[in-house]
Amino acid sequence: MILKNTPIRQKLMAVILLISGAVLLLTCAAFIAYEYFTFRKHMISQLSTLGEIIADNSTAALAFDSQDDANQILAALDAEPHVVAAGLYDEEGNLFAHYPDRLALNSLPSASAKKEFFFENGYLHGFLPVMQSNKQLGSLYLRSNMDAVYARFMLYGQIAVLVVAVCILLAYFLSRILQKGISDPILSLAETAQAVSSKQDYSLRAPKFGEDEIGFLADDFNQMLERIQSQNQEIVSFNQKLEQKVEERTMQLAEANKELESFSYSVSHDLRAPLRAVNGYAKILEEDFGTVLDDEGRRLLTVVQDNAKRMGLLIDDLLSFSRLGRKDIMKSYVDMNGLVKSVKDDIEKTTPHRAKVIIHPLNPLVADRSLINQVMVNLLSNAIKYSAGVESPVVEVKSYKEDGEVVYEVKDNGAGFNNLYVDKLFGVFQRLHSNEEFEGTGVGLALVKRIITKHGGRVWANGEINKGATFYFSLPDNKST
Amino acid sequence: MVQPRAVPSKEYQIKAVFLYNFTQFVEWPANSFNEAESPLIIGVFGKNPFGTYLSETVHGEKISGHPLVVKYYSKVEDAEGCHILFVNQPKTTDLKKVLSQLKSRSVLTVSDASTFIQDGGMIQFLTKSNKIRLLINSEMAKASGLTISSKLLRLSE
Amino acid sequence: MEKGNEIEILLVEDNLNDAELTIRALRKHNMANNILHLKDGAAALDFLFGIGEFKHRDTISNKPKVILLDLKMPKVNGLEVLEKIKSEELTNTIPVVILTSSKEHPDVEKCYALGANSYIVKPVEFDSFLKAVSDLGFYWLLLNHSPI
Repeated sequence: MILKNTPIRQKLMAVILLISGAVLLLTCAAFIAYEYFTFRKHMISQLSTLGEIIADNSTAALAFDSQDDANQILAALDAEPHVVAAGLYDEEGNLFAHYPDRLALNSLPSASAKKEFFFENGYLHGFLPVMQSNKQLGSLYLRSNMDAVYARFMLYGQIAVLVVAVCILLAYFLSRILQKGISDPILSLAETAQAVSSKQDYSLRAPKFGEDEIGFLADDFNQMLERIQSQNQEIVSFNQKLEQKVEERTMQLAEANKELESFSYSVSHDLRAPLRAVNGYAKILEEDFGTVLDDEGRRLLTVVQDNAKRMGLLIDDLLSFSRLGRKDIMKSYVDMNGLVKSVKDDIEKTTPHRAKVIIHPLNPLVADRSLINQVMVNLLSNAIKYSAGVESPVVEVKSYKEDGEVVYEVKDNGAGFNNLYVDKLFGVFQRLHSNEEFEGTGVGLALVKRIITKHGGRVWANGEINKGATFYFSLPDNKST
Repeated sequence: MVQPRAVPSKEYQIKAVFLYNFTQFVEWPANSFNEAESPLIIGVFGKNPFGTYLSETVHGEKISGHPLVVKYYSKVEDAEGCHILFVNQPKTTDLKKVLSQLKSRSVLTVSDASTFIQDGGMIQFLTKSNKIRLLINSEMAKASGLTISSKLLRLSE
Repeated sequence: MEKGNEIEILLVEDNLNDAELTIRALRKHNMANNILHLKDGAAALDFLFGIGEFKHRDTISNKPKVILLDLKMPKVNGLEVLEKIKSEELTNTIPVVILTSSKEHPDVEKCYALGANSYIVKPVEFDSFLKAVSDLGFYWLLLNHSPI
């Protein structure tokens, strides 16, 4: 149906107009067809009537052989323009009178005694007996052209066209008005639906026009809206409750964090003081009474000091480890080349070393700058520390993209570790070397892991004893997400 | 009296037919006939010019149920009870006598005498350019209670 | 410790051990001659404003060249002392060095906001501690031009 996409109003009107038009045309066609099939009869009947009258009037002329009178009577046929020829025959079949005057007499057929009509060569021919008191005095011949018929049909055609035109026009205006009864409810419903969907306003309701199917549709529609509205309200109130809960939880978390905060504050302050005393007094002992002690005594004092020092480191590392857990990540664009270089410089300032540090071009990051800095400090200082014993220590820093991640690696050719225990590397206080071999608290790598995990990345490593170790961390490639 | 078959001249044949035809175009008053089936008499007064032709022509014919009969009269007094009377070349005096006699009755008087109408006749045969024409005095006919059809009247000269 | 005419360094520290170590460090560099150690903030304020046991002190011409102030102290804590010192005309020109164990950033900010001149964290290692203290002494007593 080509009407598929036209608006309802037009559809309805088109249907009405088409049907009206079809009905009208069919009616006219039927009528004209009927006329076409019966015009012959009609024509004959008309000619016959005319003929009867003429014949009746010409009985005396025939009876009394008055040609003039007969011609005069036939001349009356002037009144009927469609009769183009007529002839009066006597009882012997001889032509007695003819019409019109100028008629070519040989065009008249020979007489027929009986009453008959026939169509030939586009004319209707008719014979009627001229009777007077049951005696046939002669016959009358009439010839009529079909002009009347053609004119008639022409007229019919024109009337049909006019009627159809008027009716279509009328149908058009009527349908315009009447279709509203159907289309208005539908359009109103459609409008409401449109308004609801565009404004997302579920409090709207469709007006109901009547108890028909559209009315019921409107009811159902409104019911649905009702339901959506109430469901939305439920959702909203549910959300509110959730948010309340979230707020409560957040407050609780904040409180817990605060407590932790003050806890670590106390720890950092209160634990350090005695440590400082131990260290300090041991030093005083060494300075003031060192000469009194023997080597063993001095060694024992050194042990005390070293341990105090170590405890201090442990406290510091533990504190920064726990602080990290509470901190929020503040992401920003990090130029890794610059960052790693500055970390390298800082390390060199504080702890001179022989290692050759090669920094390859590094991919930039979006991450918390200070935390990543911490990571690089830990990894780089580890690498330098553990390769200190090698003749030509080399530390390399590289980065590359792989499988939607940006990977950084720090590689050294130092002491390495037994790959068997690689899983333990990143645990808190886990070390694969003793303090005598390499000093350290075992928190550094745990810190690295924590930081990287917080950024949504991964850490891993592999190494071989005395061949060196490579530490990797990766972060998701933001550009691909 | 049955006369032997005698064929008249063409002229009188036609006139005979005309006479017969008159019966179809004239109405007699009801009292002209005793009964519904009383004959309609065509009388011929004077010498019979039709031979047997007239009788043959009307033989067996009926007009409105009245059988047609031809009667021949030689005396006026005899011309009673006819409905049409053909007066054949009468002497004027005779003619007048006949007509006055018939005046009181409904009889259609026909003749080919040249002064028939003037003398009081109703239909006169006229020969004009070889054709027989009619001269009709409808008043005369009406005065006698006869109604002549307009179709016939038309033909009057 | 001399309660004397010229107090150059006022050390406000509740931990006796820390105090001892500090004084020892200063002494090592011959800067401990005129040092006064007070154990709490209240005493420090009394001293600076000539109240209580320090009633008869000349608080105007005898101001210390530098105050080494610990934060965590009983009674009146370091922040309150700092605030008091820096808000009084009598004392606000005296340089105050916060010398404390706490590295917590909020503390640092607060101190500077209140007008501390310097913030030093006491290292655990004695050597570093010694160096820090002597550096301090050297700077504030010898190098820096005091407003006093």
